Amino acid sequence: MPPNFFNSVLLICQFELKRLFSTRKGLLYIITFAVVWYFILLYPIRYASDLLGRQQSSGHGSTFFEFIGFGSLMNWQIPEFGVYWRFALIMFPILCISITADQTCSDRERGTFRFLTLRISRGRLFFGRFMGAMVIQAILIITTLITTLVLTVYRDGSLLSSAFNSSVAIAVNLLIVLLPFTAMMAALSATIKSAKQSTVWAILIWSFLAGIISGLSSYIPVLDNLKVLIPGYQMTELAQLSEWQPLHLAYVPLLQSFVLLIIGYWIMSRQTL
Amino acid sequence: MSRTIIQCQQLGHYYSGKAALNNVSFEVVEGEPVGLVGPNGAGKTTLMNILCGFLRPTLGSVSLFGLNPGNPELSDKLSALPQDARLDPTFTIGEQLQFFARLQGFSSKEANKEAVRVLDLVALKDSFKEKPVALSHGMSKRVSIAQALIGSPQLILLDEPTAGLDPINIRNIRSIISELSPKTTFIISSHDLEELGRVCQQILLLENGIMSSTRLNMSENDSPTRFFTIQMEPCLASEVIGQLKRLAGVIHVSNPQKNEFIVEYNYEIEPQIDLKIITCITDNHWQYRQFSRGKTLEEKLFFEKQ
Repeated sequence: MPPNFFNSVLLICQFELKRLFSTRKGLLYIITFAVVWYFILLYPIRYASDLLGRQQSSGHGSTFFEFIGFGSLMNWQIPEFGVYWRFALIMFPILCISITADQTCSDRERGTFRFLTLRISRGRLFFGRFMGAMVIQAILIITTLITTLVLTVYRDGSLLSSAFNSSVAIAVNLLIVLLPFTAMMAALSATIKSAKQSTVWAILIWSFLAGIISGLSSYIPVLDNLKVLIPGYQMTELAQLSEWQPLHLAYVPLLQSFVLLIIGYWIMSRQTL
Repeated sequence: MSRTIIQCQQLGHYYSGKAALNNVSFEVVEGEPVGLVGPNGAGKTTLMNILCGFLRPTLGSVSLFGLNPGNPELSDKLSALPQDARLDPTFTIGEQLQFFARLQGFSSKEANKEAVRVLDLVALKDSFKEKPVALSHGMSKRVSIAQALIGSPQLILLDEPTAGLDPINIRNIRSIISELSPKTTFIISSHDLEELGRVCQQILLLENGIMSSTRLNMSENDSPTRFFTIQMEPCLASEVIGQLKRLAGVIHVSNPQKNEFIVEYNYEIEPQIDLKIITCITDNHWQYRQFSRGKTLEEKLFFEKQ
């Protein structure tokens, strides 16, 4: 008997994980990511948190960090996670665009989708691939957070519980931030022929959408509210928030994701394979 | 009583305003394999794609087992060999076939067995751990046929199944089709009319997007006018035609191709015309390569009306 919706999505999700962890291409990607992350952890996070820690204890730091636009870092209980949060808000969305650009396009162009859609519906395939992309990103986020937690506890063992709380808060918030980016790439991937083209289109759409809305809102200020349509538009505000505070803005990415997934599913269900 | 498994009503599909299918209506009942033929651009692949749910028709309606194409409930009933579809080059063939089986509801262990079974059917058991790029065109085609055999589908659509295969594997595919029929109904789209003539009892002909149906070996046996097709070794056509025409019961002898003759005769006048023809060939010291009852499928489908 064919599996139900949930089990089909789970099977596709598992297969996407297999693609990452058991194929040469996937392993190469993990190794590259690990090397890049090692340097980020070792230099910016460790040294910046050392500096922050010293400034916090001396009491003169906030003015300097506020002067350079990083005052919000002082709101974090543990400086390592403050620096992580600022880095992650830039790094993970960029990473998301590159790793989730090929959710469906190359399979569709190759005809592999034909084999799959004979067995499961396009909807299950679409949402399964989306879930797979989210799970992969969740694994990367959790891994990087664990390494940051280890670094923090190595510096000061008494910070374990606060570090754990910050890690969970960041993981949840970061995943919510990445939802609309992944959903947008899912929608683009459903209609565009290659991963490279999806990435280019994503950048163009973001730039033009932001440009057009900014241009129009200078004449009609109320149109500035349309910025809510742009995935990640709340990032500047998020960077100023710490720990669990970003959850107050979670409705924006959740709403964007919902709309983008509906658009993506609509495209996918009408696409010629 | 055989049930209808495919029902197409006034189906139409247009590419940039040009009709690939035009008002096509037909039904297929479960049972013997059905051939789908037509010249290039006739709309065969478009029709196959619509039946598989890869393409939405511009007009009309289609139902398979009473369901719309692409309905998840068809997953264990319908299977297909799609044209120009390739497997993911990242994974091994075994991994992908197992995954397809899992999606069809097999457990992990059963999926592994099923993947081995279907690869064995197409004589590619040893390629289980190979990646698709390591296979030749013919082998890739056989793997694609193998995926269509996963589970026990009631209907299998095969788009050009023997194109690019060697004679041994063509025979193997033919025997798979014969073994699974009529429990599984096959619809085979192909340009290999000889192959279709061997396997199918019914032929659907698509020409300029319009469908007609022919039942093989049926209409001819009901009629007093029947045919024999003779493939001769190099010979003088006028001489052969002249001699054959003299035989009692022969109505007409045509020479559609070099060294090929179609003898039209009246069965009621001479029921044993085959013996007479053979005697005539022997008496004249001619040699023949092939002697077969009826017209070739090619002649019937594409040249009879001309």
